Amino acid sequence: MKLERDMTCTEIVELITEYLEGGLSTADRERFEEHIGFCDWCLAYLDQMRHTISVVGEIREEDLPDELQQSLLSAFRDWKAGSA
Amino acid sequence: MIAYKLLRSDGTGPFSGREWPPPGIWLEADAVDACRSGVHACRPRHLPLWLGLGELWEVELDGEILEDERKVVAARGRLVRRVDAWNAEAARSFQDACAAEARRRAERTPDLAQYAADVTATPVASVSAYIAARAAELQDGSAGYDAERARQGDWLTSKLGLAG
Repeated sequence: MKLERDMTCTEIVELITEYLEGGLSTADRERFEEHIGFCDWCLAYLDQMRHTISVVGEIREEDLPDELQQSLLSAFRDWKAGSA
Repeated sequence: MIAYKLLRSDGTGPFSGREWPPPGIWLEADAVDACRSGVHACRPRHLPLWLGLGELWEVELDGEILEDERKVVAARGRLVRRVDAWNAEAARSFQDACAAEARRRAERTPDLAQYAADVTATPVASVSAYIAARAAELQDGSAGYDAERARQGDWLTSKLGLAG
Protein backbone atom coordinates (compact mmCIF):
# COMPACT_ATOMS: atom_id res chain seq x y z
CA MET A 1 0.00 0.00 0.00
CA LYS A 2 2.83 2.41 0.79
CA LEU A 3 3.95 4.30 -2.30
CA GLU A 4 7.59 3.83 -3.22
CA ARG A 5 8.39 7.51 -2.76
CA ASP A 6 6.33 10.33 -1.27
CA MET A 7 6.07 13.66 -3.03
CA THR A 8 7.17 16.75 -1.14
CA CYS A 9 5.38 20.11 -0.94
CA THR A 10 8.10 21.64 -3.15
CA GLU A 11 7.48 19.01 -5.82
CA ILE A 12 3.74 19.67 -5.64
CA VAL A 13 4.35 23.36 -6.41
CA GLU A 14 6.65 22.47 -9.31
CA LEU A 15 4.24 19.94 -10.82
CA ILE A 16 0.89 21.58 -10.25
CA THR A 17 0.51 23.03 -13.74
CA GLU A 18 1.38 19.72 -15.35
CA TYR A 19 -1.08 18.01 -13.03
CA LEU A 20 -3.90 20.37 -13.94
CA GLU A 21 -3.12 19.92 -17.63
CA GLY A 22 -3.24 16.12 -17.28
CA GLY A 23 0.43 15.72 -18.17
CA LEU A 24 1.64 13.61 -15.24
CA SER A 25 2.22 9.87 -15.55
CA THR A 26 -0.23 7.67 -13.66
CA ALA A 27 2.39 6.96 -10.97
CA ASP A 28 3.21 10.64 -10.47
CA ARG A 29 -0.46 11.56 -10.51
CA GLU A 30 -1.09 9.02 -7.78
CA ARG A 31 1.79 10.38 -5.67
CA PHE A 32 0.61 13.93 -6.28
CA GLU A 33 -2.95 13.15 -5.18
CA GLU A 34 -1.86 11.16 -2.15
CA HIS A 35 0.15 14.14 -0.93
CA ILE A 36 -2.82 16.46 -1.47
CA GLY A 37 -4.96 13.93 0.41
CA PHE A 38 -3.33 14.81 3.72
CA CYS A 39 -1.60 18.15 3.16
CA ASP A 40 -3.99 20.97 3.97
CA TRP A 41 -1.61 23.61 2.62
CA CYS A 42 -1.07 21.98 -0.78
CA LEU A 43 -4.81 21.38 -1.09
CA ALA A 44 -5.37 25.11 -0.53
CA TYR A 45 -2.75 25.83 -3.19
CA LEU A 46 -4.48 23.48 -5.64
CA ASP A 47 -7.82 25.22 -4.95
CA GLN A 48 -6.21 28.64 -5.53
CA MET A 49 -4.57 27.55 -8.79
CA ARG A 50 -7.81 26.06 -10.08
CA HIS A 51 -9.69 29.25 -9.16
CA THR A 52 -7.03 31.45 -10.77
CA ILE A 53 -7.15 29.45 -14.00
CA SER A 54 -10.94 29.61 -14.11
CA VAL A 55 -10.89 33.41 -13.69
CA VAL A 56 -7.83 34.32 -15.74
CA GLY A 57 -8.64 31.71 -18.38
CA GLU A 58 -11.54 33.88 -19.50
CA ILE A 59 -9.24 36.72 -20.52
CA ARG A 60 -8.47 36.76 -24.27
CA GLU A 61 -5.26 38.13 -25.74
CA GLU A 62 -7.12 40.99 -27.38
CA ASP A 63 -8.62 41.99 -24.01
CA LEU A 64 -5.19 43.15 -22.81
CA PRO A 65 -4.13 46.74 -23.47
CA ASP A 66 -1.13 46.99 -25.86
CA GLU A 67 1.06 48.41 -23.13
CA LEU A 68 0.37 45.45 -20.83
CA GLN A 69 0.95 42.95 -23.64
CA GLN A 70 4.33 44.51 -24.41
CA SER A 71 5.33 44.57 -20.77
CA LEU A 72 4.42 40.88 -20.34
CA LEU A 73 6.27 39.90 -23.51
CA SER A 74 9.28 41.82 -22.33
CA ALA A 75 9.18 40.21 -18.87
CA PHE A 76 9.02 36.70 -20.32
CA ARG A 77 11.72 37.47 -22.87
CA ASP A 78 14.03 38.56 -20.05
CA TRP A 79 13.02 35.58 -17.90
CA LYS A 80 13.92 33.21 -20.75
CA ALA A 81 17.26 34.91 -21.27
CA GLY A 82 17.98 34.82 -17.55
CA SER A 83 17.22 31.13 -17.22
CA ALA A 84 19.35 30.02 -20.23
CA MET B 1 -21.76 -0.88 -3.03
CA ILE B 2 -21.47 1.55 -0.14
CA ALA B 3 -18.25 3.57 -0.16
CA TYR B 4 -17.01 6.96 1.06
CA LYS B 5 -16.11 10.22 -0.59
CA LEU B 6 -14.43 13.42 0.59
CA LEU B 7 -15.92 16.52 -1.01
CA ARG B 8 -15.06 20.21 -0.79
CA SER B 9 -17.62 22.28 1.15
CA ASP B 10 -19.12 23.49 -2.15
CA GLY B 11 -19.92 19.90 -3.12
CA THR B 12 -17.15 19.50 -5.70
CA GLY B 13 -14.65 16.69 -6.00
CA PRO B 14 -11.24 17.87 -4.76
CA PHE B 15 -9.31 16.53 -7.75
CA SER B 16 -11.81 16.65 -10.59
CA GLY B 17 -13.40 19.94 -9.53
CA ARG B 18 -16.66 18.31 -10.63
CA GLU B 19 -19.84 19.23 -8.81
CA TRP B 20 -21.76 16.30 -7.33
CA PRO B 21 -25.55 16.39 -7.64
CA PRO B 22 -27.67 16.45 -4.47
CA PRO B 23 -28.10 13.19 -2.50
CA GLY B 24 -30.03 10.52 -4.36
CA ILE B 25 -29.20 11.70 -7.88
CA TRP B 26 -26.73 9.61 -9.86
CA LEU B 27 -23.49 11.05 -11.15
CA GLU B 28 -22.58 9.17 -14.33
CA ALA B 29 -19.06 8.71 -15.73
CA ASP B 30 -18.01 8.13 -19.34
CA ALA B 31 -15.41 5.51 -18.44
CA VAL B 32 -13.87 3.74 -15.46
CA ASP B 33 -10.14 4.45 -15.32
CA ALA B 34 -8.33 5.04 -12.01
CA CYS B 35 -7.02 8.61 -11.61
CA ARG B 36 -8.36 9.56 -15.06
CA SER B 37 -12.05 8.94 -15.40
CA GLY B 38 -14.91 7.53 -13.38
CA VAL B 39 -16.58 8.19 -10.05
CA HIS B 40 -13.81 7.98 -7.46
CA ALA B 41 -14.50 7.01 -3.85
CA CYS B 42 -12.87 4.84 -1.21
CA ARG B 43 -13.32 2.03 1.28
CA PRO B 44 -13.06 2.86 5.00
CA ARG B 45 -9.57 1.33 5.07
CA HIS B 46 -8.44 3.89 2.46
CA LEU B 47 -9.85 6.87 4.36
CA PRO B 48 -6.72 7.83 6.33
CA LEU B 49 -5.06 8.66 3.00
CA TRP B 50 -7.75 11.12 1.93
CA LEU B 51 -9.02 12.59 5.20
CA GLY B 52 -7.67 16.06 4.48
CA LEU B 53 -9.78 16.59 1.39
CA GLY B 54 -12.95 17.90 2.99
CA GLU B 55 -16.35 16.71 4.18
CA LEU B 56 -16.95 12.98 4.52
CA TRP B 57 -19.89 11.52 2.61
CA GLU B 58 -21.34 8.06 2.34
CA VAL B 59 -21.94 7.19 -1.31
CA GLU B 60 -23.51 4.37 -3.26
CA LEU B 61 -21.60 3.09 -6.28
CA ASP B 62 -23.07 1.12 -9.15
CA GLY B 63 -22.20 -0.35 -12.56
CA GLU B 64 -18.63 -1.33 -13.37
CA ILE B 65 -16.48 -0.97 -10.25
CA LEU B 66 -12.69 -1.06 -10.17
CA GLU B 67 -11.05 -1.86 -6.81
CA ASP B 68 -7.67 -0.24 -6.32
CA GLU B 69 -5.20 -0.35 -3.42
CA ARG B 70 -6.09 3.19 -2.44
CA LYS B 71 -9.52 3.84 -3.93
CA VAL B 72 -12.52 2.46 -5.82
CA VAL B 73 -13.66 3.78 -9.18
CA ALA B 74 -17.16 3.25 -10.54
CA ALA B 75 -19.30 3.96 -13.56
CA ARG B 76 -21.76 5.88 -11.43
CA GLY B 77 -22.33 7.01 -7.90
CA ARG B 78 -24.66 9.04 -5.75
CA LEU B 79 -24.44 10.71 -2.39
CA VAL B 80 -26.33 8.98 0.41
CA ARG B 81 -25.60 11.13 3.46
CA ARG B 82 -22.95 13.32 4.95
CA VAL B 83 -21.14 11.55 7.80
CA ASP B 84 -21.66 14.17 10.50
CA ALA B 85 -19.90 11.96 13.04
CA TRP B 86 -16.67 13.12 11.37
CA ASN B 87 -16.50 16.50 13.08
CA ALA B 88 -13.98 18.57 15.03
CA GLU B 89 -14.40 16.48 18.17
CA ALA B 90 -13.92 13.21 16.30
CA ALA B 91 -10.90 14.64 14.48
CA ARG B 92 -9.36 15.57 17.84
CA SER B 93 -9.97 12.05 19.22
CA PHE B 94 -8.46 10.57 16.07
CA GLN B 95 -5.37 12.76 16.51
CA ASP B 96 -5.13 11.69 20.16
CA ALA B 97 -5.20 8.04 19.09
CA CYS B 98 -2.48 8.70 16.50
CA ALA B 99 -0.42 10.53 19.12
CA ALA B 100 -0.77 7.67 21.62
CA GLU B 101 0.45 5.22 19.00
CA ALA B 102 3.39 7.47 18.05
CA ARG B 103 4.35 7.85 21.72
CA ARG B 104 4.22 4.07 22.15
CA ARG B 105 6.63 3.73 19.24
CA ALA B 106 8.88 6.48 20.62
CA GLU B 107 9.26 4.50 23.86
CA ARG B 108 10.80 1.70 21.79
CA THR B 109 12.75 4.07 19.48
CA PRO B 110 13.63 7.35 21.26
CA ASP B 111 14.61 9.00 17.94
CA LEU B 112 10.89 9.08 17.15
CA ALA B 113 10.09 11.37 20.09
CA GLN B 114 9.95 14.44 17.84
CA TYR B 115 7.51 12.65 15.52
CA ALA B 116 5.29 11.89 18.49
CA ALA B 117 5.42 15.55 19.53
CA ASP B 118 4.59 16.68 15.99
CA VAL B 119 1.57 14.35 15.80
CA THR B 120 0.17 16.15 18.84
CA ALA B 121 1.19 19.66 17.80
CA THR B 122 -0.18 19.83 14.27
CA PRO B 123 -3.71 21.26 14.03
CA VAL B 124 -4.67 19.06 11.06
CA ALA B 125 -5.88 15.48 11.66
CA SER B 126 -4.76 14.20 8.25
CA VAL B 127 -1.25 15.52 8.86
CA SER B 128 -1.13 13.89 12.31
CA ALA B 129 -2.11 10.61 10.69
CA TYR B 130 0.59 10.98 8.05
CA ILE B 131 3.31 11.76 10.61
CA ALA B 132 2.24 8.78 12.72
CA ALA B 133 2.45 6.54 9.64
CA ARG B 134 5.89 7.89 8.76
CA ALA B 135 7.08 7.22 12.33
CA ALA B 136 5.81 3.65 12.01
CA GLU B 137 7.63 3.31 8.71
CA LEU B 138 10.89 4.51 10.23
CA GLN B 139 10.52 1.92 12.95
CA ASP B 140 9.22 -1.09 11.03
CA GLY B 141 9.68 -0.32 7.34
CA SER B 142 6.86 -0.16 4.82
CA ALA B 143 5.00 -2.90 6.73
CA GLY B 144 4.93 -0.53 9.69
CA TYR B 145 3.48 2.24 7.54
CA ASP B 146 0.78 -0.09 6.24
CA ALA B 147 0.01 -1.37 9.74
CA GLU B 148 -0.39 2.17 11.08
CA ARG B 149 -2.64 3.19 8.19
CA ALA B 150 -4.70 0.03 8.79
CA ARG B 151 -4.97 0.90 12.50
CA GLN B 152 -6.18 4.39 11.57
CA GLY B 153 -8.71 2.94 9.13
CA ASP B 154 -10.03 0.58 11.81
CA TRP B 155 -10.34 3.49 14.25
CA LEU B 156 -12.36 5.54 11.78
CA THR B 157 -14.56 2.59 10.83
CA SER B 158 -15.32 1.80 14.43
CA LYS B 159 -15.74 5.30 15.87
CA LEU B 160 -17.69 6.74 12.93
CA GLY B 161 -19.83 3.62 12.45
CA LEU B 162 -18.81 3.19 8.81
CA ALA B 163 -19.83 0.27 6.65
CA GLY B 164 -16.61 -1.73 6.45
